[in-house]
Amino acid sequence: MSELIHTVHSPAEISTGAAKLRQVIAEAEISPNEVIIKFDSWAKSLDARELDDLPGIPFLRMWLRRGTLEPIIARELGPNGLHGSWTEYGRAECKAFPLGVVGHWPAGNVEIQPILSMTCALLGGNAALVRIPSGLVDLTQLVMERLVQSDPGERLTRRIFMAAFEHGRQDLQEAMAQVVDGAMIWGGKEAVLQIRALPFPHWARVAVFGPRISVAAMDAGAWSSPDEQKSWCQRMARDVWQFDQQACSSPQVLYLERGAGQSTVQFLSNLQHAFETENQAHPRRTIAAGLTSAISQARASWLLNDATHQAVFPMGPDWTLLLGSGSDLPQPIQGKTLTVLEVDDLMDAVSKWDGNVQTLGLGMADAEKERKLALLAGKKGVDRIVKLGRMHVFVPPWDGVDLIRPMVRMVRHVCSRD
Amino acid sequence: MQPFEDKIDRLLSKLPYDQPPEERQAGLLEILKEELDYACQRHAGYKNYIRHWPRDYRSAAQVADLPFLPVGILKANPPLSLVDRDEIKRTLTSSATTSQVPSRVVLDSPTARRMTKGVVTIVRDFIGPARRPYLVVDTPSFLGGGSELGARGAAIQGLQPFASEVTHCLSPSDQGDLLLDRNRLREFARDRQDAEVLVYGFTFILWNHFVKPLAAEGICLNLPKARILHSGGWKRLQDQAVEKTVFNEQLARVFGCSPDRIIDFYGMVESVGVIYPDCSAGNKHGPVFGDVIVRNPLTLEPVVAGEHGIVQVCSVLPTSFPGHLLLTEDMAQVLAYDGCPCGRRGISFRFAGRVPKAELRGCGNLESKRLPMN
Repeated sequence: MSELIHTVHSPAEISTGAAKLRQVIAEAEISPNEVIIKFDSWAKSLDARELDDLPGIPFLRMWLRRGTLEPIIARELGPNGLHGSWTEYGRAECKAFPLGVVGHWPAGNVEIQPILSMTCALLGGNAALVRIPSGLVDLTQLVMERLVQSDPGERLTRRIFMAAFEHGRQDLQEAMAQVVDGAMIWGGKEAVLQIRALPFPHWARVAVFGPRISVAAMDAGAWSSPDEQKSWCQRMARDVWQFDQQACSSPQVLYLERGAGQSTVQFLSNLQHAFETENQAHPRRTIAAGLTSAISQARASWLLNDATHQAVFPMGPDWTLLLGSGSDLPQPIQGKTLTVLEVDDLMDAVSKWDGNVQTLGLGMADAEKERKLALLAGKKGVDRIVKLGRMHVFVPPWDGVDLIRPMVRMVRHVCSRD
Repeated sequence: MQPFEDKIDRLLSKLPYDQPPEERQAGLLEILKEELDYACQRHAGYKNYIRHWPRDYRSAAQVADLPFLPVGILKANPPLSLVDRDEIKRTLTSSATTSQVPSRVVLDSPTARRMTKGVVTIVRDFIGPARRPYLVVDTPSFLGGGSELGARGAAIQGLQPFASEVTHCLSPSDQGDLLLDRNRLREFARDRQDAEVLVYGFTFILWNHFVKPLAAEGICLNLPKARILHSGGWKRLQDQAVEKTVFNEQLARVFGCSPDRIIDFYGMVESVGVIYPDCSAGNKHGPVFGDVIVRNPLTLEPVVAGEHGIVQVCSVLPTSFPGHLLLTEDMAQVLAYDGCPCGRRGISFRFAGRVPKAELRGCGNLESKRLPMN
């Protein structure tokens, strides 16, 4: 492993790394525009055939583009935020300043999340101290090597310290928490609670992106449309495939609103075909044995517990469609296991949610119904309502919060002269 | 009486490990297909599951193509049953060490009879047919007299056909602990220095409540012809950092016998009548009335020799619940599909721990250890 990712053994290595980062921040500011120039070049360097098969790389390329990031900067940091200038608000002016060193605790199961989380802090002018989960070291290393090539003057890379250590090393987790001014925490319930309990400085700002699930829904006008059915099914399959259905934005359930006299048979056949096609294009290369067991268990209990239930699946654990009806939110299985439920009224399903649903992916022909559904979903705790096929598009607000602004200080200056 | 019942009895009367694998496959396949037909007639949900299996079992050419159930499905309560309530003679419950919910399997008279016969057939191949004094390293209360029987009780009871007399050397304290009854133990050991004796205990009970206290006092029972069988898994001993070799050496020292007289066997209540003792080469084998398939987690196809995978146990013995083809929550390595140095035919394999439980991840910082698959 090169110096890009440090295999850390002692708390002192973390505090030394953080001290160097602090020194770099003190020496020179960096504007979001300068960061974007580097990112844009980085995105181009990731456009390489040997990287195409790596999970999340196409997604990362799109995220790092100027066209993606400029509007986000403008919305979160103000119209002059791009160049790090003051923006006038009446008699006052505001400017974003970095918090300092931002610590990142990314999820271990979303391959590019260490990078994504880090970019949010860098765009705010911060330095980034990133814990790399052990399973993601190799991929992160590959991606970071491309950043090094795009940043010969080390304007950005000097602001990054990546630390690889085991999740259970409480001493190293604590050392990391003690030296940061802000934290971005991505995790399941247990992990989030554990990391939030670390000894952060009292001034540190903490942004938590906790465990959520996501759901898809379609009205009869959309799923029954002969012209669009295949396209909707492809979109659905892509949303399921990305991140092996383990991201918080991955759909676990698809609700199909019944239409008078319309059968879902053709739609489900197209959905099966879309899953088969996606599986051929992007087959799994590894799987945790526990996930295979969970998938086998889900298939069996679905079909055994109710003889009216149906399912489609291949011999292996590649993908599973569990078919039934009802508006209750079933237990998510993950591992490309989608429960498809026919429901009389989508509003019934949404009205039962309790804040655990992050993203609602929609395929709706009826615009008025979609507005009503979005309003109800918002009330029921959903933070993102997007078109099917775009459930993972990483655009803030994410989980209901901005991505860059939480890690900057918006300084307000009111001129002392009248 | 179902037509397959005669066929099962014929298999049970054979030597358990003598059949060539191809011959065994053909015999099992025929009976298992009939049992699947029967189970589908008896349980609408099971029929629904089988109907959706990607391969039609009626045209299956090998046991590995038949539809299997994940063993977790047997945690259902009321238990999955293929017989009427009044035909149920006993319910077996698992020890539920890795989850709080035990498996529950129902036995009717024919299944219970085959369970006993299956265990006897297998054990006889390892220790011979003679009856001998049987020392149970557990309490008599564990057998119970009710309609439910746990995994420990089932294992103790399964060996009783080899007993000429039975002695239990543990008793429960008022606080619910297990106490070693030294007087009873001394009495059992007295005058038996030259006799064959049979000993059974759950692995962690043998270690914690028998070996540890006796070894600490330097006691040797001087029973060189003891045959010691134990089961129940190694997890609790691994937690205490006790390796199998250390366990065997210490246990043998307490009995005053050779470590090769100790047999570790794997059994699960869900796979009634089939246990998997270690052979002299340290491997496990499937009997003629059952088989073991080790499946690649990535494809669920059988692995090639040398590879690890998820264990599926197959048995023609149960007809009171759908336990013929069960995907377990254990991992194993296949050593060979035939030709174990011990002379037993068919697959030889070794267990390699539990399948790590999958946790639901929502951008969770729960690092998955993924098995590299070829």
